[in-house]
Amino acid sequence: MTQYETAFLISPNLEEEAIEKVISQMAEVVKKKGKLINEDRWGKKKLAYPIQKFEEAFYVFFLYEADPAVPFELERQFKQTEAILRYLTIKKETKEKMKRKEKEVPEEEKSLPASEEKPTEGEDVGGDVEEEAVEKKKKDEEADEKEEAVEKEEKVDEEVSLPEEKEKEED
Amino acid sequence: MAREQRTERSSFRRYFPPKRKVCRFCQRNVRDIDYKNVDILKRYILERGKISPRRVSGTCSYHQRRLSTAIKRARILALLPFLED
Repeated sequence: MTQYETAFLISPNLEEEAIEKVISQMAEVVKKKGKLINEDRWGKKKLAYPIQKFEEAFYVFFLYEADPAVPFELERQFKQTEAILRYLTIKKETKEKMKRKEKEVPEEEKSLPASEEKPTEGEDVGGDVEEEAVEKKKKDEEADEKEEAVEKEEKVDEEVSLPEEKEKEED
Repeated sequence: MAREQRTERSSFRRYFPPKRKVCRFCQRNVRDIDYKNVDILKRYILERGKISPRRVSGTCSYHQRRLSTAIKRARILALLPFLED
C-alpha cells in the first residue's frame, strides 16, 4: 500500500450540488479499494493562468492509501469527466527515505516530534514554516540592504582610488 | 597600475567579505517542501516566474531539488504561473 495525493480542479460554472456530486463520485472510487485519509477542499480559487478560458476553479485534494490500481482508475475517471480541468497525482514519500534524512538532523530535534511519522503531519510542518515566513522576509530585506550598502562602498572606493593613482604617476 | 587595482579590490574583499548565504530550509529543519504552500514557493520565483537559482537564494542542493519539483507541481495546478509578464 502506498500513500498517494491527488489534486484536481473542477470547472467553476457547475452548481454546488453538481460539484458535490463529482467529489463524492471520486471519493467512492478511492474508498472502494483504498483508504481515504484526508479530503481537503479549498473552494473556488483564482488560477495563476487561464485553463480552458476559466479564470478560477474549485480545488479538491485527496490523501489516500491504496494500491497503484486506484490512482489509475481515478485518472481514467478524470479523463471521462468534462468538469475536471486539471489533475495531479503524486506519491507521498515513504518513511524509510525520511528516516535516512533524519539521521543528518541533530539529536535534540530528533527526539522532539514523535507525531511526525503520521501522514497528516506534512501540513503541520508547512504551517510552521508559514509562521516563520514573516521573520524570514524581514531578514531578507535586511540582508539585501546590507548587500546594497556594500556595493555602494565598493564603487566609492574605486572612484576614490583612481584619482589618487593618477596623482602618483604625475609625481 | 592594473595590478595595483586588483590588489586593492582583493584587500577590500578581505575586510568586507560577501555575506555567506545559508539555506533557509536547512535552518528550519524542513524535510519536504509541499507544493500546496504557495506563499513559501512564491518567494523562490523571480519576477518573470522563473525558479530562482541557487546562487541567488542560497538554497542547498538537496532543498533546491525539492523546491524545483514543488514549484513545477504547483505550476501544473495553476497555483503558480509558468510565465509572468
